[in-house]
Amino acid sequence: MTTRTILPDAAPTWFALAAAAAHVDHGGAGGFVSGFTHPILGWDHVAAMVAVGLWGAFLGRPAIWLLPVVFPLVMAFAAAAGVIGVPLPFVEAGIAASAIVLGLLIAFAVRPPLWVAAVVVGAFAVFHGHAHGTELPQAVNPFAYAVGFVLSTGLLHAAGIALGLLVARPLGVLAIRGGGAVISLAGTGFLFGVL
Amino acid sequence: MRARVARHALGVVLCACAGPAAAHSPLPGIEGFYAGLLHPFTTPDQALALLASGLLLGGFDMQRLGVAFGAATIGLAAGLALGTPTGDPAPWLFGLAALAATFAALAPGRALPLVVFLSLVAGALLGWASLPDAGPPRDRAFTVAGSVTGAALGLLYIAGGIDLLRDRIRAQVFCIALRVLAAWIAAIALLMLALGLGESLA
Repeated sequence: MTTRTILPDAAPTWFALAAAAAHVDHGGAGGFVSGFTHPILGWDHVAAMVAVGLWGAFLGRPAIWLLPVVFPLVMAFAAAAGVIGVPLPFVEAGIAASAIVLGLLIAFAVRPPLWVAAVVVGAFAVFHGHAHGTELPQAVNPFAYAVGFVLSTGLLHAAGIALGLLVARPLGVLAIRGGGAVISLAGTGFLFGVL
Repeated sequence: MRARVARHALGVVLCACAGPAAAHSPLPGIEGFYAGLLHPFTTPDQALALLASGLLLGGFDMQRLGVAFGAATIGLAAGLALGTPTGDPAPWLFGLAALAATFAALAPGRALPLVVFLSLVAGALLGWASLPDAGPPRDRAFTVAGSVTGAALGLLYIAGGIDLLRDRIRAQVFCIALRVLAAWIAAIALLMLALGLGESLA
């Protein structure tokens, strides 16, 4: 009796169990999907998240891990403020500005000290976090929503980091700086309601 | 060919038998023990606290963690002894998870005394959260034993698993992934804490 023998036999049983479990908790699944898609369906969020990862990879170590660590931590604090009801003006403008500024920093290959980069990213994380936080209390399952949106935010950072690893290839720097310019232009479009 | 068919048939029979066999409790009270065993992993507050504490401990080599595991065990006992069944440890567990995960994200493998203290606190809170509802003393004892075993094993396996993987995966990207994971856990814990506070303020 080997694994190769058992696995095909057990598969129908597992699929049957999975199908049964799929009808148990719509709240959790709905909350997760809602949270997961919230950053992805907002193009302004996507542009800024990818820009954070891209800039981190462009700056190299330790920024490559520090920026994607700082962002969710600060974002969570801001989201907490949003949940409690602390008002924050110009949230949408701040989100659009994050894409513009981060895109420009990448396009012009700006390499500030690490702490400055962390502060810039953290400052913009406030706007993104507040926007997410104000939606959190209405979620079907807040825990699943929080897990979903933190996970998708991290995956968007990872996508930016993956693109940023092009920096090691010929013409990679040019491609990344071009990507930064596109993000910045998109941010301008978000700010003026063109996109 | 016939032997192969027989093996497949045996596999199907074993899979079909697994459910009914597991449906019986061979030992009285063992169901409560298993329910307790899974308890730390089925509630968000305890699961996040366990994950965060495990990540924090996983920043160190296992040889240096004896004191931290001892502190967590003492904490578990203290939490069981001093906790009140009517109290709600969830906000404290979310707060601890946010703190431990933030520390694991920003400074992994540093400040062992602080990590020992956080392990003690984590143990105490998990012990408090493991207190079962009212019921027959024998059932409660089984459930508590299961919860404490689950929490202790969870902590041990998470920290040990990270240590093992770090030994196997020498790539720097693994340490980066652990930091990012810790930051995500901190963010989720903080959000849940804020949500709880928001509800109590409203």
